[in-house]
Amino acid sequence: MHKRALLLAATAAALLAITSACTGGGSAPAEQDALSPTDPSKVTGEVTVLTHRTDLVQDGTMKKYADEFKKTYPNVTIKYDAITDYEGEVKIRMNTENYGDVLMIPAAIQRNDYPKFFASLGGAADLSAKYRFTSNTTVNDKVYGLAGFGGVNGFIYNKEVWAAAGVTKWPTSSEEFLAALAAIKAKGASVPFYTNYKDGWPLSQLGGALGAISCDPKARDKLAAKESPWKAGSDLRAIDTLLFNIVKNQLIESDPATTNWEDSKGLLATGKIATMGLGSWSIVQMQDAAKKAGKDPSIIGYMPFPALPGGKPCAVLGPDYAYAVNIHSKVKPAARAFIDFMTDKSGFAESNQSVAVLKSAPMPAALKPFSEAGVQLIELTQEKAGEVDKIDKLSEIGALSTHDYRQKLVDIARGAAPGDLNGYLDELGKKWVAAVP
Amino acid sequence: MRNMGRLTPWLYLAAPLGLLVIFTYVPVVSMFSYSLTNWDGVSYDSEFVGIDNYVQLFTRPELFQVFFVSLYYLAASLFQIVVALYFAVVLSFKTRFRNFFKGILFFPYLINGVAVGFVFLYFFKQGGTLDSFLGLLGVQSRQFWLGDPDLVNVSLSSVSVWRFLGLNFVLFLGAISAIPSELYEAAEIDGANRWQIFRSIIAPGIKPILGLVTILSISGSLSVFEIPYIMTGGANGSTTFVIQTVKQAFQFDKTGLASAAAVVLLALILLITWIQRKIVPDERNELA
Amino acid sequence: MTRILAATGKYASLVVACVVMLLPLVTIFATSLKTSQEMATGETLALPRNWFNFDNYVTAFAKGDMLVAFANTAFILLFSITGTVLIGSMAAYAIDRFAFRLKRVVLGLFLVAALVPGVTTQVATFQVIDGFGLFDTRWAPILLYLGTDIVAIYIFLQFIRSIPVSLDEAARVDGASSFKIYRSVIFPLLKPAIATVVIIKGITVYNDFYIPFLYMPSEELGVISTSLFRFKGPFGAHWETLSAGAVLVILPTLIVFLLLQRFIYNGFTSGATK
Repeated sequence: MHKRALLLAATAAALLAITSACTGGGSAPAEQDALSPTDPSKVTGEVTVLTHRTDLVQDGTMKKYADEFKKTYPNVTIKYDAITDYEGEVKIRMNTENYGDVLMIPAAIQRNDYPKFFASLGGAADLSAKYRFTSNTTVNDKVYGLAGFGGVNGFIYNKEVWAAAGVTKWPTSSEEFLAALAAIKAKGASVPFYTNYKDGWPLSQLGGALGAISCDPKARDKLAAKESPWKAGSDLRAIDTLLFNIVKNQLIESDPATTNWEDSKGLLATGKIATMGLGSWSIVQMQDAAKKAGKDPSIIGYMPFPALPGGKPCAVLGPDYAYAVNIHSKVKPAARAFIDFMTDKSGFAESNQSVAVLKSAPMPAALKPFSEAGVQLIELTQEKAGEVDKIDKLSEIGALSTHDYRQKLVDIARGAAPGDLNGYLDELGKKWVAAVP
Repeated sequence: MRNMGRLTPWLYLAAPLGLLVIFTYVPVVSMFSYSLTNWDGVSYDSEFVGIDNYVQLFTRPELFQVFFVSLYYLAASLFQIVVALYFAVVLSFKTRFRNFFKGILFFPYLINGVAVGFVFLYFFKQGGTLDSFLGLLGVQSRQFWLGDPDLVNVSLSSVSVWRFLGLNFVLFLGAISAIPSELYEAAEIDGANRWQIFRSIIAPGIKPILGLVTILSISGSLSVFEIPYIMTGGANGSTTFVIQTVKQAFQFDKTGLASAAAVVLLALILLITWIQRKIVPDERNELA
Repeated sequence: MTRILAATGKYASLVVACVVMLLPLVTIFATSLKTSQEMATGETLALPRNWFNFDNYVTAFAKGDMLVAFANTAFILLFSITGTVLIGSMAAYAIDRFAFRLKRVVLGLFLVAALVPGVTTQVATFQVIDGFGLFDTRWAPILLYLGTDIVAIYIFLQFIRSIPVSLDEAARVDGASSFKIYRSVIFPLLKPAIATVVIIKGITVYNDFYIPFLYMPSEELGVISTSLFRFKGPFGAHWETLSAGAVLVILPTLIVFLLLQRFIYNGFTSGATK
C-alpha cells in the first residue's frame, strides 16, 4: 500500500517536472505591428475572424461583408469562427497561438498584456485623430484595438405602449420612471419592464449607465479609489436601486427564471413588453423584430437613464468589442486590411444604427431623438481601467463585467433570497473595498 | 525469451498508457501546479502563492456553501435508488408488457444532454408541459418551477432523477436476474410471500451493486454540472460546486483558485471511492 | 383479493412512471409538428392539427446543418470506437496475461482517470491538444475520448479473466507469439465485451457536448450536440423548430435502442459497474 502511494507520488512528481515548463507562463512574444497595407493587390492569405455574432454569421450577413471586402482585396479570403460562448472559449484559446487572425478583445485580457497578445495597429496620436474610443485600447502610446462601433446606454421601449399609459415624455427621475412603469402595469396589457434574468447578460447592460447619472467622464476611473462604488449618491447605487424598486414593485415579468432573449424582441415589438434596459445596439434588432411582426419599426423608442445632471439628461458613449490582430498571425497585413474595411468602409455601424468609430461619420438616425432632446454625450476616461477591472474580478463581484450580482439583487427584490437592498449593497461595497490594493 | 517477456506487456500498454498520461495526467498535474499560483488563466505572468488558494477555499464559508445544493441532488438520488429498486423488483417478476415498461424507464438515460436541457426548459416554462398537464388534472398551477428559490433545486434534481433512473434500474435488474431462479422456486414452495422473498433473497443478492450505486450517487451529487448549467446558468441559488468553479475560472479569472477547487473535488471523490472499496469489497477490488 | 389489489397497484405504478417518463418527450414531439400559428394559441398539450407537418424538420435539418453534423459524428464515432476497442483490449490483455512490476500502479492510473471531472481541467487539456496542432480538427475529440474515459479497460479485464489461460498455453505450445495469441485467440473470444464497449462508448461519444463544443469551433465541424446548441441562438423563440431539432437528435438513439435493446441492457449492466 505504502509502496504504491510512493510510486504514484513519484510518477506525479515526474509529470510535474515535464509539464511545469508549459504551464501558466512561457515567455511573451516580442512586440509586433500590423499596419494598414497600401497596395491591396499585394495582400494575400486566409484571414480567420473570431466573432461573437453567431446570428450574423448564420444569416449570411457577415459573408456579405467578406464578399464586399474581396472586391478590394481579391487575394484575401475571410473565414469566420462564430463562437457562442465567446469570452470563455476565446480565453482558453488565447493560451495558445491559435486564436484566429482577427478577433474581438476578450474582457479577460488585462490592458497591460495587450502588447503580448496583439499586434499594434499604430501610434495613439495618429489613430485617435481618426477614430473614437482608441484610449480604451492604448498601451504605451500604441493602439492595439479598434472598436467595431459604439453606442449609448439607456432603455429601449415600445412607444405605443408608453403613450397608451399616458406617458409621452421621457421620465427625468427614478421616481417618474417607476410611476410610468406602474401606469403601464395598470393598463394590464404589457410587462412594464422585462429583465431577461435567465439569459443574465442583459442585466449587465444596465451598468452602462455608470457615468450617465452624474454625467462624470471620470466615473469609471473613480472606482479605483478605496471606497464603495455603491456609496450614497453614486451612479451604481442609483442604477441598482432603480432595478431593485422595479422588481420590488412587481413591474417585471412574472417568472424571471424562464425568460427568453430571442422571444423578448418580438414581445417588445408587439407591445407585450414595454421596456428593457439595453444598449443602443439593440435598436436595430428590435426594429427588425417589429418588421417581422408586421409593425411599424418607428414604434421602437430609446431613452436615456432618467436623471438630469446639470439640467439635461446624459448618456455615456462607449465602444463595443474592439477588433485586434493576433500577434502570432501569419497574415497581419490582410488581417489589418479587414479591420480597416470593417471600421471605415463596411457601413456596419450605420446599418446597425450605431455610432461609427470613424470620427468623421455622422451620428446614426436612431440617436436623433437624443440630439433633439439635448442629451449630453460623454466618453469615460480610461486611465485606471486596468486597476478597476482587476478589483472587479478580485472582489468576485463582476459589477462591470458580469450579471451574477444583479441576478442576486433581483432575487432579493422579489423575495426569492434573504436580505434587503441596503444590506446587500453595503456588503458588495465592503467586498469591493477589500479588493482595492 | 525471458527478457523479451519482461518488455512485452509494455508494448501492449504503450498506446493506452501514452494516451492516458498525455490527455488525463498531464492536465491533472498542470491543474495541480496552477492551484499553487494566482494565474488568471491567460496572462504570461503568474505568482507562486503556495497553499493560499486552499486556505481561501476552506476559510471562506460562501465557497463551501454550494455543497448545500448537492444535498438536493443527494436526496434526489436516494429517492431515485428507491424507485429504481422498486421497479427492478416489480419487473423481475412476471409482468405484462415487461419489455415495454423496461424500455420506457431506461430510454431517457440514452438521450443527449443538450436535448434533455431543451426538453425540460419547455417542460418547466410558464404554461409549459408541466403547468398544462397539471391543468388537465384540475390543478391550476401558478408555480415558477425554476423561478421559485424553494423549488428550483427540486425541479433541477428531478430532471436528474428522470435522466438517471433508468441506469440504476437496469443495474438492479441485472443483479436480480443473476440470482439463481431455484432460490425463488424453493422460497415459493416454502410459501414465502413477496416481501419475504425480497428480504431474504433479493436484498442480499443486490447488496454489492446497491453499495456501488450509492457511492456513485454521492460523488455524482458533488459534481453536478451539465443540467443546471444549461437550464439556469446557476442563477437563483442553483449554483453547484462545479458551476462555481467554472465561474471562478472564467468570469473572475481566478484560474488558480478554481484549480484548487477542482483538486479538492477530485480528492473528495477519491476519498469516497476509497471508502466504497473498504465498505463494499467485491471481486473487482482485486483489480486495483 | 390482495392479489388483485397488489396487481392493480403494480400496474398503476408502472403506468404512472411511464407517463412521467414520456410526457416531456411526447410533448416535444407533438410541438415539433405544429405550425407557429398553433404555437401562438398557447395550448401546450393540444395535438398538432396535421400529423404530417414536417416543415419544422426541414428547417431544423437545413438551418441546423444536421447533415454535416451527422457526418462528423459518424467519423468521430468510427475512429474513437475502433481505437477504444483496440487499446482497451490490448491493455486488458497485457494486465491480465502478464506479470510485471508496476501492474497495480498502471491499474490505479486507469481507475483514478475515470474519476477526474473533465470540465475542470480544460485549460490545461487545451494546451496539450493545441501543442499537437490538433485544435479544430476531428482528431482532438477522438484522442480525448481515447485518452480520458477508460471504462472500456474494465469491461475487457472482467471478460478476459473468464477466458481460460489454458487456451493461451495451448497456442503457445503451437509456437504462437504473444501478439498472435492476442489476435487469434483472445480478441475473437472478446466479442461480447466488444459489443458492450461499442455500445457504451458509442452512446457516450454521440451525446458528448463539451469536448466538441470547445475543441471544434468551426461550423463545418459541428457534431450533433453542438449543432443543436448553436441552432438555439437564431431559433430561440421558435419552440416548434427547436423541438424538431431535439427530436432529430433523439431519433437515431431511439432507433439504435429499439434494434439493440438486449445488448444495450447487458452493456450497461456490465459496463457501468466498472
